[in-house]
Amino acid sequence: MILESIVFYSLAVASVGSALLMVTRRNPVIAALYLILNFFCLAGLYLTLQAQFIAVIHILVYAGAIMVLFLFVIMLLNLGDERKLSDAISPRKIIAGGLSLALLLELLSIFVTGTEGLPEYNADQALQVGTVEYIGKQLFTKFLFPFEVTSILLLAAIIGAILLAKKKPD
Amino acid sequence: MFSFAPTIVLFPLLGFLFLGLFGARLRNEKLIGILGSGTVGLSFLVAVALFIHMLGLEPDQRKGIVELFSWIGTFTGTASSVNVSVAYQVDQLSILMTLVVTGVGFLIHVYSIGYMHGDPGFWRFFTYLNLFIFAMLNLVLADNFLLMFLGWEGVGLCSYLLIGFWYDRKFDVGGYAPGKAWTNDAAKKAFIVNRIGDFGFLLAMFLIVVQFESLSFDAVFGRVSVMTPGSDVMIWITLLLFLGATGKSAQIPLFVWLPDAMAGPTPVSALIHAATMVTAGVYMVARCSILFALAPATLQVVAVIGALTAIMAATIGLVQNDIKKVLAYSTVSQLGYMFLAMGVAAFTAGIFHVVTHAFFKALLFLGSGAVIHGMHDEQDIQKMGGLKKYLPVTYKTFLIGAIAIAGIPPFAGFFSKDEILWKAFSSDQGSVLLWAIAAAGAGVTAFYMFRLVILTFEGKERFDHHHAHPHEAPKTMTVPLIVLAFLSVVGGFIGVPESLMGGNALEHWLEPIFAPAMTTLRATPHHGGITEYLLMALSVGIAVAGIYGARTVYMKRQELADAWRSKYRRTYQVLWNKYYVDEAYDTLFVRSTVKASETVLWRGLDVSVIDWLVNASAQGVAWLSSKVRLIQTGFAQRYATIFVGGIVLVLFWLMFK
Amino acid sequence: MEITISDLWQSAPMVSLTLTGLVALLVESMKGGRTTAVYGLSLAGCALAFVFSLWSLGSEVIVFNGMILQGGYASYFSMVFTSSAFFTIVLSRPYMQRLHREQGVLYILILFATVGMMLMASAMDLIILFLGIELMSVCLYVLTGFVRTKVTSNESAVKYFLLGAFATGFLLYGIALVYGTAGTTNLKLISQSFAQLSGNSLFLMGAGLLVIAFSFKVAAVPFHMWAPDVYEGAPTPVTAFMSTGAKAAAFAAFVTVFIRTFAITGTPISEVVAFIAAASMILGNVTAIAQSNLKRMLAYSSIAHAGYMLSGIAAGSAEGETGILFYLAAYTLMNMGAFGIISWVEQQDDTKLTFDDYAGFSAQRPVVAAMLSVFMFSLAGIPPFAGFFGKYYVFLAAVKADLVWLAVIGVLTSVISVYYYLRLVMVMYFRDGNATIEERVPGFAFAVIGVIAALVILLGLYPSLVVDISKTFFKL
Repeated sequence: MILESIVFYSLAVASVGSALLMVTRRNPVIAALYLILNFFCLAGLYLTLQAQFIAVIHILVYAGAIMVLFLFVIMLLNLGDERKLSDAISPRKIIAGGLSLALLLELLSIFVTGTEGLPEYNADQALQVGTVEYIGKQLFTKFLFPFEVTSILLLAAIIGAILLAKKKPD
Repeated sequence: MFSFAPTIVLFPLLGFLFLGLFGARLRNEKLIGILGSGTVGLSFLVAVALFIHMLGLEPDQRKGIVELFSWIGTFTGTASSVNVSVAYQVDQLSILMTLVVTGVGFLIHVYSIGYMHGDPGFWRFFTYLNLFIFAMLNLVLADNFLLMFLGWEGVGLCSYLLIGFWYDRKFDVGGYAPGKAWTNDAAKKAFIVNRIGDFGFLLAMFLIVVQFESLSFDAVFGRVSVMTPGSDVMIWITLLLFLGATGKSAQIPLFVWLPDAMAGPTPVSALIHAATMVTAGVYMVARCSILFALAPATLQVVAVIGALTAIMAATIGLVQNDIKKVLAYSTVSQLGYMFLAMGVAAFTAGIFHVVTHAFFKALLFLGSGAVIHGMHDEQDIQKMGGLKKYLPVTYKTFLIGAIAIAGIPPFAGFFSKDEILWKAFSSDQGSVLLWAIAAAGAGVTAFYMFRLVILTFEGKERFDHHHAHPHEAPKTMTVPLIVLAFLSVVGGFIGVPESLMGGNALEHWLEPIFAPAMTTLRATPHHGGITEYLLMALSVGIAVAGIYGARTVYMKRQELADAWRSKYRRTYQVLWNKYYVDEAYDTLFVRSTVKASETVLWRGLDVSVIDWLVNASAQGVAWLSSKVRLIQTGFAQRYATIFVGGIVLVLFWLMFK
Repeated sequence: MEITISDLWQSAPMVSLTLTGLVALLVESMKGGRTTAVYGLSLAGCALAFVFSLWSLGSEVIVFNGMILQGGYASYFSMVFTSSAFFTIVLSRPYMQRLHREQGVLYILILFATVGMMLMASAMDLIILFLGIELMSVCLYVLTGFVRTKVTSNESAVKYFLLGAFATGFLLYGIALVYGTAGTTNLKLISQSFAQLSGNSLFLMGAGLLVIAFSFKVAAVPFHMWAPDVYEGAPTPVTAFMSTGAKAAAFAAFVTVFIRTFAITGTPISEVVAFIAAASMILGNVTAIAQSNLKRMLAYSSIAHAGYMLSGIAAGSAEGETGILFYLAAYTLMNMGAFGIISWVEQQDDTKLTFDDYAGFSAQRPVVAAMLSVFMFSLAGIPPFAGFFGKYYVFLAAVKADLVWLAVIGVLTSVISVYYYLRLVMVMYFRDGNATIEERVPGFAFAVIGVIAALVILLGLYPSLVVDISKTFFKL
């Protein structure tokens, strides 16, 4: 139990910290790297919840594919003077910060009070549903229809991406 | 077979739509005329077929309701919801009215082809006429109050459009302040006076909804058994319904619009203001006979108003010189007879008179139209005379109409009028006084009708031969005249009373409709024996005396007319000025309303309060609007910030409730 | 546990439309693929799906292992979506041809967006709901930016995409919380345990986030900010599609979750929806007055209409559902008609879009002006046009649910709306000018708008036509 707590809290602190650092960095490349760190921390948290599949996919898709895309774009755009990204503190920022803080407080208070009376899950159950095998089975039986719908969604997204990214607007 | 009923309504609607959309492009009058009258003719044929079918059925099966669609549906489950359908009810009463409306309507359509020849608004005229027939058929065939009201308003609208059809012309107002007024004013007058009546109808409908929780005739009439006869609410409902009827059917106190309505083209006067629309009030009372039977007090009111209107309008008709005005007052007077019949619970007799009146009054109006047509728009009978030589067909048919309305047997008017007189005397609701007023009115009717005939067709030619070249009307106009003349002669045989060895087919036909009302009133048929014959002879005698009087005064001894005029100058003035009713209304209501609305409503309330409020609030909203739009800066970040603000608010509310 | 033939057959509208989209894609990608063929195929697909929907209107079945509902409610919405798509395709062709931007992909994207809408309306599972919303949204993002040569079109697409992704985040968060508390994403199972769940604040928060995400999609205040910019920047037929089909789809999701699944009457959720409705009605109508650009005016008007319809959601009753269903049919027709005519008058360079550009329009094009007036009167909610009964039904539902204040706000703001709708009519009829349609309108498009105008009048005269249909299936 204690070990579990230690792992959880260290991952949690690391993920919150990396998220904050990511938002506050001036250099976009560094910010992106903090985001990757954040993703790894989250994947670690998934692992502690016995959700191996999600954890792996999270790293593969987000930390792997998407972040590489981010970095490429940032480098290609050649943002140059990074200072532009972070001006001095403006009223707009104060409002945005205030709202975020308010939202955070609300969420916290709801999580503190709202967990009563919810169904309890034990580790065995979690172990059962987190595996690749289980998810694969579910995906091709119970959730076959959403799975097929996803293919249409992806097809539409591909069409759109090609259309918008074509070099010459003909 | 009953399922064909909606087609009766459909044909004129199609005609209206087609002519309204494409009429202006059809340059061919003949085509427009054939289309316009053809649709009504088709409706008539369907109605005849339906009628023949109904003749073959048992009396208790002669009723069919065809529901086309649920019109205003409300949600299921709520008890207080009122569902209204577009549904048509064919029964003995409505088929009779349908036959009259489409039959007489068809003849008048045909007549109009000749009468309106060359008018630039030819297509417009037929469009309106078709719309009118459509609305009138809705009124007649409706199976609920709301659809009836739709037709009721529809015919009112058409009446307005057609009275003001020649909106660029003026007409002679007559009476105390002779002068010209725009036909538009006449149309507006008709519309506004009718509004008062419609208001009554509307209130009655509200009361009916509250009281019976339905608007369909079957449901309302089926639930009357729980009502106590003579209860306040029944009296209110029926009085308000009757107020509606007085507006549409030109009874005291709302009759003033009908004479002015003569500003419209003559076929309109024949169709709308004589044969069909103005009888809608009578039809409505007959349809709701069971409601009126539960309010005996209202029946008394109806009878008295009817009798008074009958005599009052007849006396005004004595002195008018405009050929159509005389007929207009005659119509008001005859409608009075119909209401008298309703008031004494002689519902069959009233409907009988509606039918025969449609024949002979349409005939008289169309005849007057032929005269006006032949005299190049001259309407003053003082400038006519001796026309029988020039318009032989018109003369003969007009004469038949006059005899019919005067009540000479065996012409149509005799049977129906005599039935009313007898019931006014003998029924439980009737009295000697009502009979006496009605009989006197009958004498006056005979007198003024023959005054009209003589001044128009007999005697010296008083018109200017240089300007007027009287000529007979074309075939399209004379043929309807002949058909209507034939009907005016034989139309009465559908209701020959048993006392005259007749079968009184009409009474048997309509019996199931009025049976509930008669049971409620516990009315017993009175067979007066010798009294009935005596009164019949007396009424014929009065009619003959009236005719003879007119003949004496206007053909033999014309000096008498002038002598009487100066001798009874005051009476003459009162009659000439139509009992000053228009003037009284003008001073009492119109001018004071105009004045009050100008000073109090317009300058006081409208300009200083409402306008200010409206302007201020409009400016306020505009100011607010100009400020609020500034939020829309175009920056996506800003939008996202507001989004988050919204989330914070929503979650806050969900948390702390 | 697998997809059966009968499942596919029972979801014929959706399946047929998807297949049409795939075939059209093949036709488009073939060498020398003709745009006209894709156009015809897409129209035929919409028509076929419409017919299938009409066919299955009578019975509701749950198919695909409890994932979606077909027939009845879903079919009704399918009819609305396919009509909207059909009209959009018809209007898009001349519009895009004028810009020399016609591509078959446009129609294919419209078809896929329509499939997404159908999924939203038929979802019986939150996962399907999410997939439907995303399918629709992805297509709409691309459609908004379809005219790549125009800066406004590109800018609005990016804005729409960014904010849309933002909203999707909250949608997922909401779904996750509901799943976490209810233990299932199946709506039928959730509805069975709603009574005990509704007291839980985590569940309430999940529901609240769903309200927020849907409110974004229907463009309700304060989640509406994207709408004016995107409506203005998108190609006009696409705007028409967004303001009718997409809005109807979002309301379908609203009704599915908050009326058919949750019994929200009297809960804080209902209050939140009522506040959003009130804010939308007030802000939409007030801001619309200040607009001079017709597309922006209609954007704010569409915010206001979202507010009217949300009154029905706040009522949370069968009446509210019937009212919304009627309202959506009416609104789809009248808004489509209005945007259609605007797209004819508008010029390639985004001019001729202000009120002043319509001065004297009635003299030049009397029939079109009359039809546009019909749409304006209907949008203003003046009887006997369809819009009147739409408002009547939702406000009636609000009153019956003890939300009288909301109905009062609705009526008052409707009065404000008369000002800007009738301003267009006034300009067309009473101001001198020579506004006209400069380029020829294809007869087919003209006929389609004529049919829409006729339907707006028909629904106004005969509202029971739709109400009776929708009354039959307001239970799950």
